[in-house]
Amino acid sequence: MNKDVSGTIQVEGVSHTFVSNGEKTHALDNVSFEVPKNRFVSIVGPSGCGKSSLLMMLAGLQTPDEGRIICEGKKITRPDPQRIGVVFQEASLFPWLTAEKNVEFPLSLRGVKPAVRHDRAREALALVGLEGFGSRYPHELSGGMKQRVSIARGLVQDPPILMMDEPFAALDEQTRTVMGDELLRIWEQTRKTILFVTHSLGEAVYLADQVLVMSARPGRIIDRIDVDLPRPRRFEMMSTQPFMELRERIWRQIRH
Amino acid sequence: MRLDATTVRRLLIVLLIVAWEVLPQAGLVPRLFLPPVSATVAALWGSAPEYAYHLWVTLQEVAISMLFACVGGVAAGLVIGNSVRLRQLLLPLASAGFAIPLVILYPLFTAWFGIGPESKIVFASVYGFLPTLLGTAAGVQTIDRHLVTVARSLGASRFQQITRVFLPAAIPTVLSSLRIGGALVIVGVTVAEMLTSTAGIGFLISRYRTLLDSPHVFAAILLVLAMAIAFDWLVQLIERRVAGWQRAIRTEQAPAAAYS
Amino acid sequence: MAARYETALIRLIIIALLFGAWEFAPRADLVNARLLPPASEVFTVFFGLIQDPGFHGHLATTLQQTLTAFLIAVPVGALLGILIAENRFAGEVFKPLVFFVFSIPKSIFLPMFILAFGISFWQKVAFGVFSTIFIVMMTAFAAVASVRSDHIRVARSYGANLRQIIARVYLPSMTPVLLEAVRLAMIFNFTGILLAEMYASRAGVGNLIGTWGRGFQIPQIMAGIVTVAGLSILFNELVRWFERRCEHWRGDR
Ligand SMILES: Nc1ncnc2c1ncn2[C@@H]1O[C@H](COP(=O)(O)OP(=O)(O)O)[C@@H](O)[C@H]1O
Ligand SMILES: [Mg+2]
Repeated sequence: MNKDVSGTIQVEGVSHTFVSNGEKTHALDNVSFEVPKNRFVSIVGPSGCGKSSLLMMLAGLQTPDEGRIICEGKKITRPDPQRIGVVFQEASLFPWLTAEKNVEFPLSLRGVKPAVRHDRAREALALVGLEGFGSRYPHELSGGMKQRVSIARGLVQDPPILMMDEPFAALDEQTRTVMGDELLRIWEQTRKTILFVTHSLGEAVYLADQVLVMSARPGRIIDRIDVDLPRPRRFEMMSTQPFMELRERIWRQIRH
Repeated sequence: MRLDATTVRRLLIVLLIVAWEVLPQAGLVPRLFLPPVSATVAALWGSAPEYAYHLWVTLQEVAISMLFACVGGVAAGLVIGNSVRLRQLLLPLASAGFAIPLVILYPLFTAWFGIGPESKIVFASVYGFLPTLLGTAAGVQTIDRHLVTVARSLGASRFQQITRVFLPAAIPTVLSSLRIGGALVIVGVTVAEMLTSTAGIGFLISRYRTLLDSPHVFAAILLVLAMAIAFDWLVQLIERRVAGWQRAIRTEQAPAAAYS
Repeated sequence: MAARYETALIRLIIIALLFGAWEFAPRADLVNARLLPPASEVFTVFFGLIQDPGFHGHLATTLQQTLTAFLIAVPVGALLGILIAENRFAGEVFKPLVFFVFSIPKSIFLPMFILAFGISFWQKVAFGVFSTIFIVMMTAFAAVASVRSDHIRVARSYGANLRQIIARVYLPSMTPVLLEAVRLAMIFNFTGILLAEMYASRAGVGNLIGTWGRGFQIPQIMAGIVTVAGLSILFNELVRWFERRCEHWRGDR
C-alpha cells in the first residue's frame, strides 16, 4: 500500500436518486471512473444528466445513495478544501468581500494568520493574472475576472485536485476561449489534477487529456475518449481533422 | 434655456417655503392652519427649554421602543424567514395582522400600563415590530443560498456558515427593515403622546392645539419631522458604510425595482 | 396539496391555542381578570355590541368617513401617480418629493386639520386622504414601472393602436400592483380615520374605543378591537383573494 495516491480520484459505482416533495429523480446510475495524478479530465453530457450532482458528491457536499468516492486513497465524506478546490458556474464570490478577502476566505476559516493569508492570496491572484485587482469588490469586476478570482480561491490552499462545474458557461465566447487558455497555463504551472464539467463539446476536447461522456438521465458514463492532440493546445487545432472527429464522436453519442 | 429636474425641484422647494411665509401673512391661508415660517421659528426659539425637555422625554421612549421593536423584529424575522415551515405557518398570520389598524390598541395599553412612558413604549414597540419582522423575513429569502454551499465547499463549519455568510448577506435587509421599523417607532411614540400623556413632543402638540396656538403646534411638528429625518439619514449613512456592495448590485441590476 | 391543508390545520391549532390561553389564563388567575377578561366575556360583549343600534350608528359614521376618503384618495392618487410616472420630466421633479413626503410621519399633522376644519366629517375625510394618497402614488409609480417597455414595443410592432396597448399591455401589467395599492390604501385610510376619531370627535368607533379606554372598560375596548380587527382582516383577505384570482395573467412574474 505504499503506492503514490496523491492527486488521484476514484469513483466506484455511484448511484443517486433525489427525492423532493415525494417526487423521485434518478440522477446518477452506477457511475465509475478513475483519474490519475496530474490529468485534465472533462465530463460532458446533456443538461440535467447529473453532472453537477456528481461534482457535489466529489466535493463532499452531498453523500451518494450508493457507491463511494475516494480521493488520494481516502473516502470523501465531507468537504476537504485542502485537498479539493471547487469552482462553480455562478460567480460564487461573496459580494461583501473584496477580491483579495474572497481568496483569503478559506484560509481565514482555518484561522491562518492575517499576514500569511494576505501573502498567499496575493500569490494566488497573481497566478490567475489579477495582480493589482485585489481591493476591488466583485461588482467592480467583469465576468471573466470574477471567475479568475474564483479559481484563485480554489487554488489558494494549493490542493492537488481542482474541480470545476461549468466555470465558463456564463461568459461570452471570446472570454471563454481566453479563460480556457489561461486555465491550461495555470494547470501546466501547478500540475493539478483537474476535473472539468462542461456542456460544450469543443471546450471539453480542447482542454482535456480524457473526456468522459455521460448519458441523459439517469446519468451513466457511456464513453471515455482519450484526446491525443499535442500540447500545448492552440486555437487553430479546433479546425483540424482529428479535433473535429473527436467532437463528432461525442456528439453522436449524446444526441440520442 | 432648459432647466434640469433637480433645479426645478429645488426652485419648487424654495417656492413652497416662500409660500409658507407669504400665504398666511397675506391672509390667503388661515394662519390657524398654516402659521408663517417666521412665527413658527419664533415660537420654537422662544420656548426652546420647554421643547428641549419634552424632546428628551420622547427620545428616551423612542430609544427603548426601538430596542424592543427592532431587535425583536429582526431576530424573529431571521428565524421565521429562514425556515420554510415557520414561514408557511406564520407569515400569513403576520401579514393579516399587518392589516389591523394598531392605533386602536393604545387605549387598551393605557388601561393596562397607565398614561406614563410605559404605555408609549409598549405601543410603539408593537407598532414597529410587525413591519420589521415582515421586512426581515422577506429579505432573508432573497439571500443567495448558493453562497452557503460555496462556503461549505471551502470548509466552513455550521457556525461559520451563519456568522461568515448568512449574517453578512442579511445585513442590507436588516438595515432596510430597521429603517421602516424605526420610523414607525417614532410615529408610534409621538401619536401615543398626542392621544394621552403628560410629557413628550406629542403632548406639546396636543396641549398647544387646545390652546389654538398653531405656531407652537407647528414648531413641535417640525421637531418630530426633524427627528424622523435624522433617523433616516443615520440608517442610510450606516447602509452606505457597511452595505455599499448591495446598493451597487441593486442599481446595476434593476433600477425599476427601487419601489418594490 | 395535502401539505397545504396540513399547514392550514396547524395554523388553526395555533390560533385555537392562543384563544384557549386567553380564556384559561384569567380564569385560572394566572393574570388579573380585570385587566385581561377571558375571551368568552369579551365575545359576549362583542355579540351584544353588534346587535346594539347605538353601536351601528358609530360604525356607520366610521365606515362612511373611511369609504369617502378611500374613494377620493385612490383614484386621485393613482391618476396623479400615473401621470407623474409617465412623464419623464415630471417624474424626475416630483418622484423624490413624493418619496420624501411618503417617508415622513403624517399622523402628527392631525392637529392642523382640526385647527383648519374644526372637528367634523370633512376634517376626518381630509386627514384620511392625506394619510393615504402618498402610498397610492408610490404604488402607482411601481405600477407604471412594472409595464415593460419591450412588451409595448412588441405590441407596437404587431400594429397595436393606443387603445389596444392600454387594454392589452398596460392594464394586465398594472392590475396586480394597483390591487396592492387598494389593499394598502385601505389599511392606511382606516388607521387614519380611527386615529382622527380617537383624537377628537363626537362619534365613530375610534371615539367609542377612546372613551372606553378613559373609563377602564376593558371588555368593551377588547370587543371594539375585535370588531375593527375583524373588519380589516376581512377586507384585506378579500383583496388578497382577488389578487390571487388575477395571478394567472401575471405570467412570468
Ligand atoms: N437537491 C436536489 N433535489 C432534487 N432534485 C435534484 C437536486 N439536485 C439536482 N436534482 C435533479 O437531478 C438532475 C440532475 O441535476 P444536475 O446534476 O444539476 O444536472 P446537470 O448539472 O448535468 O445539468 C436534474 O433533473 C435535477 O433536477
Ligand atoms: Mg449543472
